[in-house]
Amino acid sequence: MRRTTDDRFRPGREPESISPATDGFQAPLGEGTADDSSRIVETGTTTVGVVGPNGVVLAADRRASLGGRFVTSKRARKIEPVADRTALTFSGSVGEAQTFVRQLRSERRLYELRGERAASVETIATVAGDLIQQGPYRALELVLAGVDDEPSLYQIGRGGGVMRADYAASGSGMQLAYGNLEDAYEPDLPLSALREAAAVAVHSATERDTASGDGATLATITDDGIDLETFDTPNAAVAATTEEVA
Amino acid sequence: MDSTAHQGAYDRGSTIFSPDGRLYQVEYAREAVDRGAPSVGVVADDCTVLAARKRVRSPLLEPTSVEKVHAVDDQLAIASAGHAADARQLVDVARRASQHHRLRYDEQIGVETLAKRLADHVQERTQNGGSRPYGAALLVGGADPIGGATRPRLFEVDPSGTPYGWNATAVGDGANDVRRFFEAQFADGDEDRDRDRDRDGSGRRWAIETALEGLEATTGDDLEPETLEVRTIDSRDGVEALSSARIGDALAEIGS
Repeated sequence: MRRTTDDRFRPGREPESISPATDGFQAPLGEGTADDSSRIVETGTTTVGVVGPNGVVLAADRRASLGGRFVTSKRARKIEPVADRTALTFSGSVGEAQTFVRQLRSERRLYELRGERAASVETIATVAGDLIQQGPYRALELVLAGVDDEPSLYQIGRGGGVMRADYAASGSGMQLAYGNLEDAYEPDLPLSALREAAAVAVHSATERDTASGDGATLATITDDGIDLETFDTPNAAVAATTEEVA
Repeated sequence: MDSTAHQGAYDRGSTIFSPDGRLYQVEYAREAVDRGAPSVGVVADDCTVLAARKRVRSPLLEPTSVEKVHAVDDQLAIASAGHAADARQLVDVARRASQHHRLRYDEQIGVETLAKRLADHVQERTQNGGSRPYGAALLVGGADPIGGATRPRLFEVDPSGTPYGWNATAVGDGANDVRRFFEAQFADGDEDRDRDRDRDGSGRRWAIETALEGLEATTGDDLEPETLEVRTIDSRDGVEALSSARIGDALAEIGS
């Protein structure tokens, strides 16, 4: 049986909440890696996800940086498909994210081969949380979403906590994005409104968060699959999605 | 003198050679394979076909729960003969090996590489003390990317842990008869094959029908779609299981 949002919040199950990304990751003292690595693994990014009755939309900016101080790429893709109708956004270390995504895809494929049926979004979210909780990943924050019997979205914290939500944001721009989402989200939004809300949230964050910017990627996930679009500026993403609504 | 004393207990441990250089436990494991329901593999121009006969012992048994051909990755599958429990373990080794390869190299493992990886694993069980050999033989079929194109391949892994590449072969009960049949088919330059190549350029139909004809050579009875499993592997559609209806059509085509 599908678990509800409340089950995800059972007392004692959740060891931590998603900490504010702007704090940056602090490596444990005494391991000799605290100084530089703490800056590199800071989650300079803005990613969001919003669920509606017909699908779910993920959006992210395209800037990769060293702690938000130096732009290492203006064309990073922070949304990765992990199944036919499931994708995730990540914020945190790029290297960790790439390895993590490959590992998650492998686990999902093994699940399918052994059971000869597709993994549900919740199954993939559970595996993702376990990998983060048990694995070597120190600074990953995910928004994982997809469509099986219904659209669903999970936020997964750097400690591996898995929480189902109707909308979520991660990365250094998350407070700005959440400001937008809190205003824009309401239950049963049509796909076009979800796309606009996601694009506007990322755009707002890129305007004021120096670690986010350089364009946007938008993933629209429905029964038909994942539609991945890239825009050279966050404005372009907003323009494209508001046209649809208008 | 009983037979055990005669053989000097060289058949007790798989790690002990007999004076004439034989490993009896490995030979007994091959015997177990020869008693299993047969599986066959045929390589066509752009696909590999794996097919197997299933022993459905009772009408109460769910035929689909007898698994003989297993998907291993997007373009890899394994057919087996012999101890089903041993084969299942090997299939899981194969699935983990292919995902491990993807993690490390971000590509699907090659058919030959996978067959050799499995062969290494099987061979270990013939040399390590306290273990017994696997009582199953595998046919590893798939498509290897070569440059822009792909090449369909077929490998056999036997209980000794030796990998062999084949154009067509069989394992299990009646395998020798099937192999002789395939040898004749390939030696003659089969007319059906040429005709089928002309039709869809792949010889897929020919390979499916040849595989079923091979299985037919292992039994005096007519083949039934419900007790057959057929999978095709190619670069476009990956691993595809043929429905009972399509197997029935192919059987009608070969006049079974």
